[in-house]
Amino acid sequence: MSGRALLPVAAVVVAVALAAWLGLAGLGRDPGAIRSPLLDRPAPDFALRTLGADRMVRLADLRGQVVVLNFWASWCAECRVEHPALDAAWGRFRDAGVVLVGVDFQDDHPSALAYLSERGTGWPVVADPGSRTALAYGVYGIPETFFIGPDGRIAARQVGPVTYDQLVREITRLLPGGRGPAGAPAAGSRSA
Amino acid sequence: MTGLTAASRTARAWLRRPAAGLAALLLLALSGLAVVTARGPGAAATPAEQVHAIATGLRCPVCRDLSVADSPAPLAREMRDRIAEGVAAGKPPETIRREFVAAYGESVLLVPPRRGAGLVPWVAPALLLAGGLVAAVLALRRWRGRAPAASAGPPPSARTSGADRRLLERALARIDEEAP
Amino acid sequence: MDRLGRYALLLSLALAAWGLLAAVAGLRRRRPLAVESARTTAYGLLAAVATANGAMLVALLSDDFALRYVAQNSSRATPAFFKVLALWSADDGSLLLWNLVLAGYLAAVAFRFRRYRPETLPGALAVMYGVAIFYLLLVSGPSEPFATLAAAPPDGRGPTPLLQNHPLMAVHPPFLYLGFVGLTVPFAFALAGLAGDGPSDRWAALTRRWTLAVWCFLTVGLLLGALWSYAVLGWGGYWAWDPVENAALLPWLMATAFLHSVMLQERRGMLRVWNLGLAVGAFALATFGTFLTRGNVLLSVHTFATSAVGPMYLGFLLLVLAGGFGLIAARAWRLRAPGRIDAVLSREASFLGNNLLLLTLTFVVLLGTVFPLAVEAVSGRQVTVGGPYFRVTTVPLLLLLLLLAGAGPLLPWRGGSAERLLRRLRLPLGAGAVLVAALALRGPRNPAAVAAFGLAAFAGVANLAEIGAGVRAAARTGRGGPTAALGTLLRSRRRHGGLLVHVGLALAAVGITASSTLAHHADMTLSRGAGATFAGYTLTYEGMRTLRQPQRTVLVTDVGVASDGHDLGRMTPSLNLYPAASEPIGTPAIRSGPLRDLYVSVVGVEQAGEQASFRVFLNPGVIWLWVGGAVMALGGLLAGWPSRRRPAPPARRREPAVADRA
Repeated sequence: MSGRALLPVAAVVVAVALAAWLGLAGLGRDPGAIRSPLLDRPAPDFALRTLGADRMVRLADLRGQVVVLNFWASWCAECRVEHPALDAAWGRFRDAGVVLVGVDFQDDHPSALAYLSERGTGWPVVADPGSRTALAYGVYGIPETFFIGPDGRIAARQVGPVTYDQLVREITRLLPGGRGPAGAPAAGSRSA
Repeated sequence: MTGLTAASRTARAWLRRPAAGLAALLLLALSGLAVVTARGPGAAATPAEQVHAIATGLRCPVCRDLSVADSPAPLAREMRDRIAEGVAAGKPPETIRREFVAAYGESVLLVPPRRGAGLVPWVAPALLLAGGLVAAVLALRRWRGRAPAASAGPPPSARTSGADRRLLERALARIDEEAP
Repeated sequence: MDRLGRYALLLSLALAAWGLLAAVAGLRRRRPLAVESARTTAYGLLAAVATANGAMLVALLSDDFALRYVAQNSSRATPAFFKVLALWSADDGSLLLWNLVLAGYLAAVAFRFRRYRPETLPGALAVMYGVAIFYLLLVSGPSEPFATLAAAPPDGRGPTPLLQNHPLMAVHPPFLYLGFVGLTVPFAFALAGLAGDGPSDRWAALTRRWTLAVWCFLTVGLLLGALWSYAVLGWGGYWAWDPVENAALLPWLMATAFLHSVMLQERRGMLRVWNLGLAVGAFALATFGTFLTRGNVLLSVHTFATSAVGPMYLGFLLLVLAGGFGLIAARAWRLRAPGRIDAVLSREASFLGNNLLLLTLTFVVLLGTVFPLAVEAVSGRQVTVGGPYFRVTTVPLLLLLLLLAGAGPLLPWRGGSAERLLRRLRLPLGAGAVLVAALALRGPRNPAAVAAFGLAAFAGVANLAEIGAGVRAAARTGRGGPTAALGTLLRSRRRHGGLLVHVGLALAAVGITASSTLAHHADMTLSRGAGATFAGYTLTYEGMRTLRQPQRTVLVTDVGVASDGHDLGRMTPSLNLYPAASEPIGTPAIRSGPLRDLYVSVVGVEQAGEQASFRVFLNPGVIWLWVGGAVMALGGLLAGWPSRRRPAPPARRREPAVADRA
């Protein structure tokens, strides 16, 4: 190879190396994941009425408790998948002062109420008119679950059905005696 | 009297030159554009138009290849309602956008904010175009220097009639094009 | 069936490997027998790949759900037409089609050069076999279209609802594949020319018609994609600056630049290295597009289901980049020829301008597409680059391109008298200026739109006038009659085809400008029997009816349309409910006209049809985009149509030979 070709060939090598690095970086991430800017930030407040319209649930009132906020809908197939896990976690932690709140997302009342009575949902479920709360939390596809610590900050977020193990892990971490709210990017504080 | 006729004759002769006609047409086009630019966007945008303007700059979180303005998703519709509320409350567009960014992150903006790395997509193409233009001009000058002299057309001494010349040039052009 | 398909693919792989070896042997040791063997192997390869595709088609049509691909992409209820389409509606199957198209091109090259064998043929065949081997490895390895399920389910899942909604799915991918895969041909001949010993500029003349055909396919494929987006997806637009859409646009832009600059090489022997770069670049961009679409790098309406082939595509792309540009870098210095341009106001200079603008456009679109990935790789920050960015950055470049498309054909080769140029400019400039002035009086408020209309008029009239001039000149030389005029058009079809493409471009520009800047839309929720006005039309929601089809339930809404009291009939936008989809998929109703489209999309139906929500659009001028695009494709077809007498092999050239090595 002639000396005159050295510089162009070197340039090509550098360019290809750059392309390789970019390509590998592109391959190494989940294209569907949106990183949440709300982690470790104060959870947006809300005051929503339950579906039965019998009471108001205000996030500000729940300060000092661990809150699990679950966005769902009666038309959502994957929400049915996670319902048993939520039910089990609810049964285990309700006496520890953990509050599980379901937020009905773009649904109609009759279908939602029918779903709740059919499934025997024991925790409070609120309606979200105009999806204001969903928009404030950056919800883009249900089911989504947010874990809010006693200090009112969002400790973790799960996009997609949540498993029982995840629920136990995140709730335990937030309860007094656990390791405190997970600030570092440990499992669960990524939106998976 | 002769001075005036002479002047009008030169004026007419000048106007018959193709360059003058073209200059006039160019002037017409540019002034038309100037009128449109000066007229501006017309009456202040209605609230619906303001909402649309903000919505076209936000990305629908559900249908990710569409803007909030274009997306048929119900969530996009509700986002547009929230924007409309903000506009009605007199919030500036930047505040409304920032509220969505707080919930969804920077990726909800369809154009990256113009600071830091976000400047690159704007600056780089301009640099490239400028650089390419410079390279093209330099190349043209270098290549032109090597050209055999005087190829600016037939010498003026060959006074063929206008129609004949046109015919000749068309025929020449056709021969040029037919070559493989 | 699965065994037939698998064995056919293995056979194809073996044949491709043999072809590669034979071609390389023929190249290195100059054995004509080896080259001949490499050439004829292409026919066998086509037969083998066709068999594999046929096996998949038979499996789809006969509901052979033992095959995983059939179970996932077809069902008993799917109509036969869409069962055939299922071949390319998902990743694995469409790779089979890709391989078929590639084998087809190989066979076509083998056939075309069966008598006249250029020096570059062995090298080109070798490169094409190499590419074929990669794609065959994909279908034999990770992609596995013929994988079987342990237990065949009684019925399949059916195709993705969005992909069985419209017959356009039938033609959009095949045309795009014909374009993307076809770029392999100029790429292969370019590399072969580089690797050889002699002057390497013949590859451009050899592959000219191929590149034109590929360009036509790409144009049609892109047009069909826009049409599908408009008529099927229901969001009212035709181009979303989606990363995968951009990735399809990039090779088209580069191929357009190549088609122009290659003329400079043919006539003046210039830009040899540049054209090599464009040929490699176009193929690399097509490969990059494949990587984006199938490599699980992005989410898009186009990306296929996640598969493990991303690293393979990346590896192949890097190989193409390194091999192609590396070879150019290593050998370019031998090919430099001194360039010559006679005047600034010449066709040659306008081609330089054309390339500058198109390459900048390519860079802008590529940058916008890749920027989010790059930023996330470096800093973890997630940003989006979408429509507003592309609109702002591409519009000025497109306006300048329109200007060149009008002025360029008027400029003579080697420059000429300024007077001649000015005379030719009179009519087009007049048309553009008058239009701008008229619009300034009562037209759009957007200066860019007015400029675009003016420039489109300029370019359209300029090119039409040139076509007319050629026809008139023929009539005047006494050969008389309209048939002689047609004969003129056909005889110098390279020029007239090109002029026609520019006319099509002007028409498309009018359509794009009108629909982008002058469109209105409105949302309306109507009860049964109620109506609303929109843009001079009165729309009445008459009611809803339900159609039950085997593969879906369709809710059809009847919307009566009236204007100024005249009843204009009924439009029927619908919602399609597929069992597999959680959300209904809308089909819009479009009323097309020469001036505007009325576009109605039903967004939701409540209370069993008592109330319905619609999104209504008025899109002016969209039809000119389709017409203009079709004219562009026709112009390309005309320009490339082979003549009865084959031009002699380019043995004697007018330009100087390759540069000295001083």
